[in-house]
This record gives sequence, structure tokens and C-alpha cells, in this order.
Amino acid sequence: MSDPLIQLFSEVLQVDAAELSEDSSPDNLMQWDSLAAMSLVVAIEEKFRVQLSTKEIMKMSTIGLARKTLQTKKVMI
Amino acid sequence: MTTYDPKSIWRQYLAAIKQQPDMKFDMRTAIAGSMTIEPLEPYLGAHLLSKKFKPHITVALFNQLRQICYDHHAVLGSGDFNAIALLWRLEDLFPDMLARCLDSPAAVGDLRREVKGLADAVAHLRKRFKGTLIVSTPPYPTMPGFEVLELGQASSGMMAFNIISQFWTQEIAQLERVRLFDLHGLVLNAGMKPAHDVRKWQLYRQPYTEPFCQDIGRMLGRMVAAETISPKKCVVLDLDNTLWGGIIGEDGLEGIQLGDDFPGKAYRDFQRHLLYLKSKGVLLAVASKNNPDDAYEVFDKHDAMVLSRKDIAVFEIHWDSKVESIKRAAKRLNIGLDSLVFVDDNPKEIGEVTERLPDVSCVIVPEELAYLPGLLAETEFFDFAEVTDEDRQRTEMMAADNIRQETQETMSEEEFRKSLNLKIDVFAAQKQHLARLTQLINKSNQFNLTTVRRTQDEVEALSIAKDALVLGMDIKDKYGDYGLVGVSILRKEDKACIIDTLLMSCRVLGRGAEDTFIAKLAEAAKTLDCDEMRGKYIPTNKNAMVKDLYKRFKFIYDSQTDEWIVNLSNAPQTPAHIDVELRLSDKNAGSISASMV
Repeated sequence: MSDPLIQLFSEVLQVDAAELSEDSSPDNLMQWDSLAAMSLVVAIEEKFRVQLSTKEIMKMSTIGLARKTLQTKKVMI
Repeated sequence: MTTYDPKSIWRQYLAAIKQQPDMKFDMRTAIAGSMTIEPLEPYLGAHLLSKKFKPHITVALFNQLRQICYDHHAVLGSGDFNAIALLWRLEDLFPDMLARCLDSPAAVGDLRREVKGLADAVAHLRKRFKGTLIVSTPPYPTMPGFEVLELGQASSGMMAFNIISQFWTQEIAQLERVRLFDLHGLVLNAGMKPAHDVRKWQLYRQPYTEPFCQDIGRMLGRMVAAETISPKKCVVLDLDNTLWGGIIGEDGLEGIQLGDDFPGKAYRDFQRHLLYLKSKGVLLAVASKNNPDDAYEVFDKHDAMVLSRKDIAVFEIHWDSKVESIKRAAKRLNIGLDSLVFVDDNPKEIGEVTERLPDVSCVIVPEELAYLPGLLAETEFFDFAEVTDEDRQRTEMMAADNIRQETQETMSEEEFRKSLNLKIDVFAAQKQHLARLTQLINKSNQFNLTTVRRTQDEVEALSIAKDALVLGMDIKDKYGDYGLVGVSILRKEDKACIIDTLLMSCRVLGRGAEDTFIAKLAEAAKTLDCDEMRGKYIPTNKNAMVKDLYKRFKFIYDSQTDEWIVNLSNAPQTPAHIDVELRLSDKNAGSISASMV
């Protein structure tokens, strides 16, 4: 079964899941621009039913950090 | 999945069109904003898809409004757009000046000048861009000092906003065919707090919550679609427990609920909304199982009735089925069943009509009566792009029609026709006719030979083209004025005059109007220096009534080109009893004034 967070990033960024890793970030992924960042926030909030603060959003600069932030909010991924 | 998920619908559509590089889009829309508006795209797109369009959406870069107004191709790319929508906010474009309005009345004047500059930019775009142009109202500012809680003391912020927004609305109203998108109203409707997401504003300059983005996208979609989709033409209403509470046959005039207190108020407010729809040209009809005298008594005698008998175009009050009533009403009004909305409180009646007349749109009176007054406003059935004079007078015209019908029953056909004193005016279209002509082109189904739909700009372009003629037909008789009820578009190809479009409102048929129109088309074709007229009949599932029209007027069928052809030397003549005028000379005057703009 594919990882739900990777799947979400893959869908929103329109990037094949195989090309994504915990280290993927705006620096190494062309598709992850500021508009995409906004769509990611919306998608994460909708899919995992959480509300992110601006501080948390700023921290999510890689997929791995996004996962860690979500885990502190008790999202099991 | 049964839930409506506009974002995934849009994503799938985008993926699908990637596979078809030569796809023809029929609704190319560009949106631009003083804020980030990308999140609107899927909602706008999904709404247009639900209306059967093949949309293509271009989102302009953030805050390029003025650039778009002065050179839209440079910003949006070349190619034609069907619609451009511009959304803007005061706090994005004029933040400092807006802040100064809080303590300096003079700043309001400065802000007004800036806003005027934006209106001028829109006017500039209107002249160069031919499609649908939509601009928003500025929503109430979200800025320190403008907080809604400050409104209790009629703050200077509120006063400045009122002055500016009224000024903007007036400026835009002066421009021809610029549609105002009420973003402020939409925010009010959602509520300031639920509409805004301050986190996204701070991070991405995108001020709105996801649900509110959906509200905006959907409403923009409705506005864009209203340019080409015909609104419904008639509401067929039940009476008991729909126009009033209770059952007139049992409760009596005193016993029914209708008045200023709930639940009577809900019914009364619903009637007010119906009257408003009537003022926009929607016909009202009644289909009720009742004793006619009981029902009429309410219309004639109940103090709290908002609707009077003259507001209702057709009454079907008897004990026959609603299905029969609806069919008869459609026939008497000469409109298709798909132009009808049926409102009833009885699920059985709604069920039967849904099953047996699937083209009719059915709406049930809600269990919660407080929702009744807004019942039809919530639907998209009556989204009008533009309301014409003909719309406003429709019920009165239908009333004159009923007198005509009664007269007809006592005379022979020939006597009747003569007695009408029919006056027909066929003329080359001028600017002031374009709105109505376009409306007819896009909604006439039955007497329509080719059913080619066109936007107002396309019609305008043809009306000033050298090798084409856009003709309108106006009809009057002794009972009243039908207004503009016929349209034809003629195109010259060598020595042939192609009847590109020929359509008429069904209300005027059978009096010699069609004979006259075709005779005048032939005369007009001669002025284009043609020898023959050629016309096509393109069948749809609604226009069977004109299948043999050309045959009737002695056109000869050419199976090779699938065209009907008549030589102008033996073209049909105008019937004797009709007073008719053909005015083509204005066309040149029209084209000169248009090119001087």
C-alpha cells in the first residue's frame, strides 16, 4: 500500500510517487512552487482533517518535515 | 463515489485534455485578480463542465489587472477568450490610500480618483475585447480599522467604503456590457469570518477559505454560463400549501395561511419572489387540483395575496392530472417542456411529473417553510445575462395573445388575419437590437432552421460586415406589440445568398409572418446582388416544425449540397393583408458610427 502523504504530494504536485522521497523539497522539486505550497496546505488540511498554524506550515519544508509536523498533531502516518 | 468533488473532476479533465492536443474548447475563460486566485480554477472549471461546456481556463499572474486591461494578449497570451473575469480588492490595489480614509475625508477623494483610473482601464479593455467581460465589486476591506465590529458606530471606514463602492458600481454601469460580479455580496452571504483565511493571506496573498473559493468559482461559472445558456421561461405553481398554507377548498378564505405572520409570511415572501421573477420576464402559470371558483376567490379577494390574476399567464385549475396541466400550459404558452419549472408541495405529484415529463425541472416545497421564499433564488434556473424590454412585458403580451386566440375562434382564418391589422417591420440590425437578437438566437428552438448559437459580439461583427446582413423582424397588431420576434442572418457567397440563420418566436406563427419574412429576405438578398437564396434545414430534436418550410415556399432541394434553393426571380411574395416595411439603408449608417468609436 502506498504511503498516504507521498500519494498526496504526488497528486497535488503532479509528480510520479517514485520520484518523491522524504527529502523532497522546493529546492529539489521544480513543481513545488509557492502556488503548489498553498494547494498542499489545503490538501493536507482536507485529507488529514487538521488545522495548521503558519508556524507549522513554515516548518514543512520537506516531505519528511511535513510528516513529522503531522505526527506531532497525532496524525498517524 | 457519490459526493461531488469539483477538484478531482477538474484534475481528471485536465489530464484528459492533455491526451487530446487538438481539442476544441468552447469556453475559453481567463481570470485575474489583485490577489492570488488560482484556487478558484477547479471550481469554476468543474461548474462549466457540469453545464456541458468544454472549458479552458487561463489564470493570470497575481496583480496584473491593469496590464490585462491595456494589453490582454500580452498577459494572457494570444488566442480568443470567450470571457475574462477581473476580481479586485481595495486593500490590494490601494492599501495606503485606503488606510488614510479612516481619518482623512480628503483621502476618500484621492481614492476615488484611483478607482476611476481602474474603471477607465476596464473601459479600455471593453473596447478591445469582444467577449464577456466580468469585473467584481470591491468587497468590504479586511484591514485594521475596518473591522466589522467597528461598524456599530458608522465608522469612517464604512462610510468611505460605501462611497467608493457606489462610485465603482456607477462607473461600471456606464460601460456597455460589462457584467458586475458582486464579490462583496458573496462575502456578505458567506460571512466575513467564514470567507477569510488569514493564514493563507499572510503566506500566499490568497485571502479566502477553500469553501469560499468554491462559492466564487461556482458563481463565476454561473455568470459565464448565463451568456449562452437559456434561463427557464416559466414557473408552474401549485396553489394549496405552495402559494398559501392550507387547503382553500377545506379551510376557506379566512382559514388559509397567508399574511405577515409565520407561516403565512413565508408564502407571502415566496409570492414576492415570484413577482420579481415575473418582472424579469419569467411567465407564471398555475396548475392546481381545485374548484376554479374557490381558487380565483383567493386571487380576487384575499388581502395578503401578492400575485393577482393578471400576473398569471395560464390557469389550469381542475381535477385532471398535473402532467396534463403542465402539458397544456406549455402548449398554450408555446414553450418547450424543458423551459418549465414545476413547484408543488406533494411528493407524489413531483414524482409523477419527474417520471412522465423528465424535461420539466421539479422543485418541491421544503419541509422547513422558512426556506420557501429563497427556494427558486437558490437554483440556477433563472440566471439571466441581460433582461430586455420584451422580457419585462412578456405576461402582458401573452394576455394580448389570449384575446387574439379567442377572436380567432369566431372568424374564418382569412377574416382573422385581415382583422389583425398586422404591421411587420424587417430591418437591418442596429446596436440597440443586438442584445435581444442574441437572446433569440440562443434560445429559439422550434422555429429555427439551423440552430446556430452566437454571442453578441459575433452577431455584432456580422451586422457590420459588408457581405452579410443581420435582419430583425418586429411585429405589431391591433392587440399589441410583440416586439422583436424574428432573426435572420444572410451571407453572400458569389451570387448566392446563404440563409445562415432563420428563426422566429412561435407566438407569431400562422398569421403570415413567416411568409412575409421570407419574402423580405428575398428582397434583401437582391440588395446584396445575389441571384438565388440557399438555405439548410439542420434537424434537432425540437425543430421538426420547420422541416418542410423551404418546400412550402417553393425552394428546390439539392441533395448534393443538402440545401434548399430558390431563384430570386420567383421568390415568395408578401401576403396581401400585411402592412410591411423593409429598412436596409440604416445598415450603412450603423457601420459608420461603429467604426468611428
